[in-house]
Amino acid sequence: MTTVLAPVAGAAVGLEAVPDPVFSGGLVGPGAAIDPAREPGRALSPIDGKIVKLHPHAFVVVGDDGRGILVHLGIDTVQLRGEGFEPLAAEGDRVRAGQPVVAWDPAAVEAGGRSPVCPVVALDASEGSVTGLAEGTVGAGDELFEWR
Amino acid sequence: MAERQVTVKAEVGLHARPAATFVQTAAKSSLDVTVAKAGGQPVNAKSILGVLSLDVRQGDSVVIRAEGEGAEELLDRLADIASAP
Repeated sequence: MTTVLAPVAGAAVGLEAVPDPVFSGGLVGPGAAIDPAREPGRALSPIDGKIVKLHPHAFVVVGDDGRGILVHLGIDTVQLRGEGFEPLAAEGDRVRAGQPVVAWDPAAVEAGGRSPVCPVVALDASEGSVTGLAEGTVGAGDELFEWR
Repeated sequence: MAERQVTVKAEVGLHARPAATFVQTAAKSSLDVTVAKAGGQPVNAKSILGVLSLDVRQGDSVVIRAEGEGAEELLDRLADIASAP
């Protein structure tokens, strides 16, 4: 069982609320999404593990058990080519759950015409393996869901 | 072992939608399927974690391999997805 923490503060919403069918349709995997508070913040690692991929707008952390979590900061934010995102760690780094990975500003993403909603996805997880989804307001570092 | 080598044309590379579609298509097959960057280590093509970790960018060349009944048809489909603009 893996406890996955909320990387950002905001409102916990289902993946189906993400305005991108790749995520809302569960094509990447099961998980949750957070509609982030519109203030500059730092996205935290959702689990203990190693940063295997770090893009300015998205990162993947893999735990010692091989389970990977994708955190995507906003939708279509790859188009920003890193502008407005500041990596606080490096690819290959070991991080603790709750450790800051990227600094960003959801309000700036929204001002640019993109959704700042953050999908948090359990990669290669089977359907039904994600439970205990948080509802309502979550703080950064609060429990977001369990991966059985 | 059948294989295809294609150049990834999507602007986002083999990430996001192309990656998800690629993995979903591979996962529907009962065959073992791998994908690698040309000259690199292969990963399980049915693993979204594996494919995202490859970090395939636009213009990169990938090699997709499968073996068994229906491998050619599967590779044709995967090659189409990987090389779609």
